[in-house]
Amino acid sequence: MTFQIELNGVNKYYGAFHALKDINLAIEEGTFVALVGPSGCGKSTLLRSLAGLEKITAGEMKIAGQRMNDVPPRKRDVAMVFQSYALYPHMTVEENLTYSLRIRGVKKAEARKAAEEVATTTGLSHLMKRFPRELSGGQRQRVAMSRAIIRHPKAFLFDEPLSNLDAALRVHMRKEIRALHDRLHATSVYVTHDQIEAMTMADHVVVMRDGVIEQQGRPLDLYDRPANRFVAGFIGSPAMNFIPAVVGEGGADALLDFGRTRARLALAARLTPGLAVTVGIRPEHISIVAAGEGAFDIPVGIVESTGSATYVTSATQPELTVVETGRGAVKSGDVIGLSIDPKQLHVFDAETGERIGTERPPVTAASPPRLHLAEGAR
Amino acid sequence: MKRFLSSVTDGSGFDIGLVLLPLAFLFVMSGLPLVYNVVMSFQEVDMFSLGSFARPFVGLKNYIDLFSQPETRPILLNTAIFVSASIAGQFLIGFGLALFFWVNFPGASWLRGLFLVSWVMPGLVVGAIWNWILSGDFGVLNFLLRETGAISGNIFWRSDPNYSLWAVIIANIWLGTSFNMILLSVGLSGIPKDLYEAAELDGANAFQRFWTITLPMMRSTIGAIIALGLIFTLQQFDLFAAITSGGPNNTSNVTQYWAWDLSFRQYDFAKGATISVIMIVFVMFASVVYVRSTRHEVRG
Amino acid sequence: MSDTFRNRLMFAVALVLAAIYLFPLYWMYITALKTGSAMFATPPKFWPSEPQWGIYEYVWQSRNMGRYLWNSLVIAFGAVSLIAVLGVGCAYVLARYRNIWVDVGLFLILMLQVLPASLMVTPTFVGFSQFGLLDTPRLAVILAIAAKSMPFFVVLVRATFMSVPMELEEAALVDGNSRIGAFFNIVLPLARNGILVSAILIFMQAFGEFVYSKSMIQAVELQPASVGLNSFMGPNTNEWNNIMAYATIYVTPILAAFVLLQRRIVSGLTSGALK
Repeated sequence: MTFQIELNGVNKYYGAFHALKDINLAIEEGTFVALVGPSGCGKSTLLRSLAGLEKITAGEMKIAGQRMNDVPPRKRDVAMVFQSYALYPHMTVEENLTYSLRIRGVKKAEARKAAEEVATTTGLSHLMKRFPRELSGGQRQRVAMSRAIIRHPKAFLFDEPLSNLDAALRVHMRKEIRALHDRLHATSVYVTHDQIEAMTMADHVVVMRDGVIEQQGRPLDLYDRPANRFVAGFIGSPAMNFIPAVVGEGGADALLDFGRTRARLALAARLTPGLAVTVGIRPEHISIVAAGEGAFDIPVGIVESTGSATYVTSATQPELTVVETGRGAVKSGDVIGLSIDPKQLHVFDAETGERIGTERPPVTAASPPRLHLAEGAR
Repeated sequence: MKRFLSSVTDGSGFDIGLVLLPLAFLFVMSGLPLVYNVVMSFQEVDMFSLGSFARPFVGLKNYIDLFSQPETRPILLNTAIFVSASIAGQFLIGFGLALFFWVNFPGASWLRGLFLVSWVMPGLVVGAIWNWILSGDFGVLNFLLRETGAISGNIFWRSDPNYSLWAVIIANIWLGTSFNMILLSVGLSGIPKDLYEAAELDGANAFQRFWTITLPMMRSTIGAIIALGLIFTLQQFDLFAAITSGGPNNTSNVTQYWAWDLSFRQYDFAKGATISVIMIVFVMFASVVYVRSTRHEVRG
Repeated sequence: MSDTFRNRLMFAVALVLAAIYLFPLYWMYITALKTGSAMFATPPKFWPSEPQWGIYEYVWQSRNMGRYLWNSLVIAFGAVSLIAVLGVGCAYVLARYRNIWVDVGLFLILMLQVLPASLMVTPTFVGFSQFGLLDTPRLAVILAIAAKSMPFFVVLVRATFMSVPMELEEAALVDGNSRIGAFFNIVLPLARNGILVSAILIFMQAFGEFVYSKSMIQAVELQPASVGLNSFMGPNTNEWNNIMAYATIYVTPILAAFVLLQRRIVSGLTSGALK
């Protein structure tokens, strides 16, 4: 099987700084891939390498089966949407849209027609004669998108395209970009530091840290079976609780260490007795019960309510956060019982942070079946 | 060949080409003369050996001769006075004006920019105007000083050995003040306003705010401006040519004019080169100070 | 005290300061219009009673100013063209990269910027004479000025290029441009104003240049206006009204250009010299 984008052992150095370390990635045509991670993790460098704006130091990079290592950006046939949009300020919207076509020698009338078509689908038709400085943030964003669409490139590259928009517009554009991707049956690589964007938009999420791919897979696989503590903490909001613990003598339970408070919790699978581990529990997987009725009791520290949900933080060290839908009756200073399903526990090696016990999800980036169906239907 | 072409269109060959050509030009037109200057300072060069490359080397003779000449010491002293008085005058007046225009009022920036005409005018024209203003019997400056009672008799600025250097200094201060003022204004506007608000809440009065916030925040700007002032003052030639020609009897002569005078009036190119070498070393030192004080800009 | 009153007061004081500072300029314009006797009157008149407008034509013809100014223009245009052609690319590269070589290049350029012309003229003159360049003295002066002023131009234009976002150029590359195409289609048009302002500044400098012209151009018919003014001012001249008329004709175009473009020139200048 050939992949639309294929990276084999890609490395990138800036002088002595090792920015990308042995990156392997295979993306099927039609897949929406999100590269996500904290700033400085190498996700933008990886994207820019795909575009040809950075030269990789070692490894192989293929787009549509062709080796791209030494191919300049203009010959890669990819389109990129920049964080700052990078609209040419001295050109009108129409000129911005048709620029790439004009360079390739497309006739003026033809380019204009293509621009009209794209503008209709993105709702820019009435703005064609304006300059970028006369547009709102959302409109600029759309021009940047349209400029990428007009070329029918082999792949779309997005570099945090929504980070300059306000929250409401961002949620809206999220859906719009994904809808566009589906309609064009495009292959997209999307860089973001926002894990919610990655989870909601992508078919395949790649979590990076310090130039290394920590884990990749389908969004919910990453949520259900994070490969290590970093991914577990990065994916999901509010973040997962981590409590240092030791596996009990029988190997069937773990002794959680909250400083002064200790708690015993049953494990789903048997582990080596005496093993030092970190237990991860997502806030949404804990339910509050009356004191003495749950797995263990805990004193309440802070209670915050957003109206739709209540965040309860324990007065322990480390803290434990619990999310309850609706408005709980819990007050600061109460002692509450917590009920936890052992199947929802994540256990990590205390030293390496690696996941213990469950198998890892598969790693190739494939689009979901519905896209293949869509293709078949056409 | 194909590889080379694609490097020019798509790779670093483009950049290297763009930068190498001008650097080669600068190397030939500035770098080589710089070296040649040093070579000549160890040679005997006169009108007759000007065209030949094989000139007798005389070792340090030019340097020794130079420092045994009676006018060397006064001219070096003149240079020091010219430089320090010019810089002090330009800086103090410039700073005063910059502080005044810092108070924002409508039209401030336009009027401030207008001051810069003194800087864009050809130096020789500035010299000519000041030559006329400073003239002894009919100069308007003498008239104004007499009217205000500052002096009783006319000062012969250009021909009195006690004043000739100051004639050029006055003109040079006028020339450079505006440039100092503009750069200092930029530095002042770079100080965050909330610092002053915080200091005011802390109880500092205007004078204290100036000493504890303005001056310390301006330190790198001031360093750069003084270094720039040194560089520009040592470049000043046109005013000497237009006002005093270094006279009378070298009392207003400075090294940069003297070097030219030796080469092109007395045709002693070796001596001219010798002074140039000494002064260029000095200027380079000043520019290192300048580069260091603007290093944060260099890093961009 | 109301704000408007304060603003008006400040503006009035600023006007007075500007008037004092620009008095020498005023004196130039006024002296040129005075008759020979009015010029030497005591006390001097601060307003010409009978302005002599004919003086400009007289000086223009008697001093052959057309030829001088033409030479100044040739030299200034030549130097600016050479500097622009060579300097723009250099400034662009120095703005685009951050590494040790760029720092070295920048340092060398800043060093060359500070070399006084009056000190560099000796070796330049001797070198030029040996290579026969002094046979075409105006070209020699153009080359010398270009070498002297290019570093300043590069520093100014580099600041302009640094204000053009890198992403625009990258977008052009991804859109299908080569480096050359992106430079000419995107970067250059966006930096055009800054380059133009820097070129105007360099032009003004070259238009008033004196040291190199005085030293290298012996033939009167090839000398620029600055040298012409210098030879007009003998040691004991009393033609001050004529000299000031000469100066007026020489600098008024420069001053007019400056006042028109003032805002741009000032901001261009300051962004290059310090940040």
